[in-house]
Amino acid sequence: MRRMSTILIIDDDPRFRTQARDLLEADGFIVIGEAVDGASGLDAVEALRPDFVLLDVGLPDVEGFEVARSLAIDGPPPLVVLTSSRDARAYGRRLSSGEALGFIPKERISGAAIRALVDEG
Amino acid sequence: MSHPQTITRVRALLVFIAGALGAGMLLGTAQQGPLRLETVLQVLAGWSFVACGCFLWARRPVNRLGPLMVLVGMLWLLGRTMTLIPNPVVFTVGIWFTDLWTAGFALFLLSFPSGRLRSRADRAIVGIFLFVVVPLEFLWLLFWVPENGLNILAIGPSESAAKVVDTIQRAVISFGSLLLIFVVIRRWLLSSGPVRRQMVPVLVGAVALMLQLTAWLFATVNMSFEPLNDLILASQIAIPIAVLFVLLRARMARGAVADLVVEVGQTPTPARLREALANALGDPSLQVAYWAPAEDRFIDTAGQPMELPDEGTGQAVTLLERNGAPEAAIIHDAILLDEPGLVASVASAMRLAVENDRLTAEVQAQLKEVRASRARIVEAGDLERRRVERDLHDGAQQRLVSLSLELQVARRALGDGGDPAVRRSLDRAAEEASAALAELRDLALGIHPLILTESGLGEAVESLADRTSVDVSVDVGPERYSPAVEGAAYFVISEALTNVTKYAKATRARVRIEALNDHLSIEIDDDGVGGADPRSGSGLRGLADRLAALDGTIAIVSPPGGGTRITAQIPTIQPTSAPV
Repeated sequence: MRRMSTILIIDDDPRFRTQARDLLEADGFIVIGEAVDGASGLDAVEALRPDFVLLDVGLPDVEGFEVARSLAIDGPPPLVVLTSSRDARAYGRRLSSGEALGFIPKERISGAAIRALVDEG
Repeated sequence: MSHPQTITRVRALLVFIAGALGAGMLLGTAQQGPLRLETVLQVLAGWSFVACGCFLWARRPVNRLGPLMVLVGMLWLLGRTMTLIPNPVVFTVGIWFTDLWTAGFALFLLSFPSGRLRSRADRAIVGIFLFVVVPLEFLWLLFWVPENGLNILAIGPSESAAKVVDTIQRAVISFGSLLLIFVVIRRWLLSSGPVRRQMVPVLVGAVALMLQLTAWLFATVNMSFEPLNDLILASQIAIPIAVLFVLLRARMARGAVADLVVEVGQTPTPARLREALANALGDPSLQVAYWAPAEDRFIDTAGQPMELPDEGTGQAVTLLERNGAPEAAIIHDAILLDEPGLVASVASAMRLAVENDRLTAEVQAQLKEVRASRARIVEAGDLERRRVERDLHDGAQQRLVSLSLELQVARRALGDGGDPAVRRSLDRAAEEASAALAELRDLALGIHPLILTESGLGEAVESLADRTSVDVSVDVGPERYSPAVEGAAYFVISEALTNVTKYAKATRARVRIEALNDHLSIEIDDDGVGGADPRSGSGLRGLADRLAALDGTIAIVSPPGGGTRITAQIPTIQPTSAPV
């Protein structure tokens, strides 16, 4: 049996963090932390070393893409899943830049969706 | 005398009298001996003045010159004819007034071309002539005894006294003539080109006077020189004809006004306009001044301040006004005021040009303002679209996401337990929420694609191409442009690709965006059925308006069966490279 994956949620919307935590925990993820913006998110990754990061594209201080790039430089990187209440069409090819595992619109967030990205990647 | 018909009758009567006097003079001299050339020339000189004077009088009723010429001719003929009549009273009066015409002639020369004397000196000269031919002539008649003895005034016949008076007369009239010649030549020298030409008759008159003086000089040394007298008479015949010549020239100038109006219609430059006005008025010294309201003074065509000449400087000002305020001024030779009609028509043509300029400037300013406001409206619309998209995202979109997630959380909480109907209901609700979210996102994307502002035209178009159902190749660089340009370009391409999928039945399409020097060239073509009509459907029409707001253009070529090609040109502000 596989080790349960850990995940950090970086999003400024507390409602979303709660819902995502509920859903992901129901799907067998361990939500080891939450962060409200890019800076605290990077600190949390440093401290917690999660397997996954669920990263909102539109953070209050810095774009999610920027956070993903920083994580990729400061390896060993967690697997980054970008998310947004907009869909992929709003971001185009920036989503497939390589630093992130993939993109899931917020309402599609689930353990299954994240594992599907891992299988694809 | 104010009734035109009466004046015409008066003129006809004068011409008849002049004809009769001339005929009488020819008959009278014919009785005394063989007809001499001198007599014929004398009659012709009188007729010339009367005929040309009547003609000028008819053409220019307000000008005193015409009646004055008639008077000179009549006095000339009358004096000479009366002296032929062997009646003592008629003969004496005839002799007395024989030379009265010279005073009229002096008045004519000095008052040309208006018929009005200009200065005290002019009046003094005419006075000298009058003094010689009226009182001095009378004095001379008191002593002079003619061969026929018909002088009824000869109360103290004395050949020597008559000789003395005659010498005084010749001396004084020579002095007056010299003054007159001096004034006329000086006036001619001080005049500008057109006026010089106009003064031809006066010069001829001055020449005639000089010849007359020479003849008198010969006479004082008891020499008679017949050809000289004939020459004087010939010049006196020529003077009225020269006046008519000048008149005809003025008529030709009216033709020049017609040319001027045509020239003005072609909105000439200020320099060309000045030249055209100068040509039409025959005054090369003519200047044009424009009123500058901001500076509260006149400026020349080069924008330099300009003083209008004062009265009495030989220059005159014809003002062009609009609603009582000065608009422009024509500065021309004062002599042209004798042709008020001509100056008025030239001023009208000038008014046309000035009005043209003013209206053009007004329209340009309005057009500039309309274009600016149109661009502002489009820009404001774009800003508003961005705001609406952001509001949708921050509001309804977030809430629908939350609702959808909450339903999923609830569904997950139920697991396989609970009422199956509730489970199904939750599943359906989650689907509904997802569908609503998808529709809302489509709407937001249509209002304003975030990718356009975030990543630029290139990526936005790539993204568009990715979601178009037919195969779309995109050729575009990473340059960024102003939001207005990117917005216009994006919506053109978006509308074109929508049409490709909706109507064209195409298998592939191609989008090319080329950044040229000062504009963006966009081309979208497909291999579909063609036949697209830009007039049907408001989509492309609206795009044309949006492009026009940026001074851009759009063209659609869509022959039936030949695919559709849309090309657009959008002027750009200097493109900036996308941040890496």
